[in-house]
Amino acid sequence: MNIDFLLYIVLFSQIMFLSYYYPRRMLIRIHTIFKNYPPDEFPKLYPESIDKYRKLAKRYQIMNHLMIGLGLGLILWFYVTPRTGGWDQVIIFWYFMIQFIPNIGLELWAMKYHNAMRLLNQDTQKEAVLQPRRLTDFASKSLLGTVFVIYVIFVGFIAYVDQFDYSWFSGYLTVLIISGTYLFFGLIIYRTMYGKVKNPHQSYEDRKIDIQTLIRQVISIAIAVTFYAMLQISLKALGIESFKAVTISLYFHVIGFLSMQWPRLDFINFDVYKDKPDLTK
Amino acid sequence: MIKYFDLIYNICTISTSSTNINNKMRIQIDTNLSTPLFNQLMDQIKKAVMDGLLKPGDSLPSIRQLANDLELNHNTVAKAYRLLERDSVIQTKGYRGTSIHVDAIQNSTVNMNASITTKLGKTIKSLRKSGATDSEIRIAFSIMMKN
Repeated sequence: MNIDFLLYIVLFSQIMFLSYYYPRRMLIRIHTIFKNYPPDEFPKLYPESIDKYRKLAKRYQIMNHLMIGLGLGLILWFYVTPRTGGWDQVIIFWYFMIQFIPNIGLELWAMKYHNAMRLLNQDTQKEAVLQPRRLTDFASKSLLGTVFVIYVIFVGFIAYVDQFDYSWFSGYLTVLIISGTYLFFGLIIYRTMYGKVKNPHQSYEDRKIDIQTLIRQVISIAIAVTFYAMLQISLKALGIESFKAVTISLYFHVIGFLSMQWPRLDFINFDVYKDKPDLTK
Repeated sequence: MIKYFDLIYNICTISTSSTNINNKMRIQIDTNLSTPLFNQLMDQIKKAVMDGLLKPGDSLPSIRQLANDLELNHNTVAKAYRLLERDSVIQTKGYRGTSIHVDAIQNSTVNMNASITTKLGKTIKSLRKSGATDSEIRIAFSIMMKN
C-alpha cells in the first residue's frame, strides 16, 4: 500500500475519532446528565444556569466541527501538494495540538464549574474517611511493576542504540525527557490523591473512582509515551522514517482512547446534588 | 467506524466501573459548632477507638490528606494529631506514617480537659481558702502562663 494513502486513512481516522467520536460521546454524556438530573431536582449540580451549560456544550460541538473541517482540509492539502514527507509528522503533531483545544477548553470550564460549586457550597458539615490513600489502592502492584519494567527496558534500549553512534541520536537526553514526563505524571497522581477536594458535594466513593480512573489513565499514557519514544527511535535507526507520520497519528488515537476512560454515569451517586429536606417545615 | 470505536469505548469504561477500596471509619466535622475543630477531630478519633472502629496499629491518613478532605487548615489537623500523640492515642513513626497507639483504648478514656479543670479547681479552691483574692489568682496565673 502506498504510504501516502495509508497516511490519509490514518489521519482521517484520527480526525473522526478525536473530533467527531470523542466529542460525540462527551456530549451524549453531558446531555444525559442534563436530561436525567435536571436543575429543579438536583440544584447543587448546577451552580449556574443550565442554559449557560447548554451554550458551552454547543460551543464545544461547533469547535469540534471546525476541527473536522481543518483536518479534512489538511488531508486535501497533503493530497494536492507535492512534498517530501519530512514535515508530515510535525504537521500532524501540530494539528493534534489544535485538535485538542476544545477538550482543553472543556477542562478549563470544568475547573471554573467546580470553583463555582465550592463558592456556593453552604454545607457546614465536612466528611472524610480515616484511611490513608495509597497508590496500590488505585493501581495494582502488577500494573505499577509493568511500568517500572517498561521504563527499565526503555533505558536498556537507549543504552543499546547509543553504542551505534548515530549522529541524530540524543541518547540519554531522551531518557531525561521520558524521566521528566514520568515525574510530571507522578506529580499529577500525587495532587489527585492528596490534593484539595474539587467537587465539595461528591461522595467519597465517587471520588475514589475518579482518582482511580485518572491514575490508570496517567499510567497507561506513561506506558504509551515510552513505547512511542522507542518506536520513533527504531524507525529512524531502521531507515523507515516515512512511517513516522502514520505512527504519530496512531499514537494520538491511543492517547484519545486512554483519555476517554470516564466513570460510568450509572455508578455515580447523583443524590448528593439534591437539596437536603427542610426539617423546619 | 463508529461501531468499532464504540466497542473500544465500552471496553474502556467497563474497566473503570468499580473500585475495590474498603470503606473504613468516617469522620464528620461541623464548622458551625462552637467546639473547636481540632477538638471535634480528637473526640471523634477517640470515640472511634473506644467503639472499636479503629484498632491499635490501624493507619491514619496523613495531615495533608485529612486536611484537604475536610477542607481544613493543615495546622488544625496537625494540632489534633499532636495532642492525640501527647495523649498516646496515636503514634507517628517517620515514613510509616501515623497509626493508632497500642494503648489507645485505655488512653482514649482519659479526658485531659476534665483533668485540668479538676486540678485547677482544687488549687483555686485552696488558694481562696488561704485568703487570696480572685484578681490575685488571675494575675499570678497569667504570669505563670507567660513563663
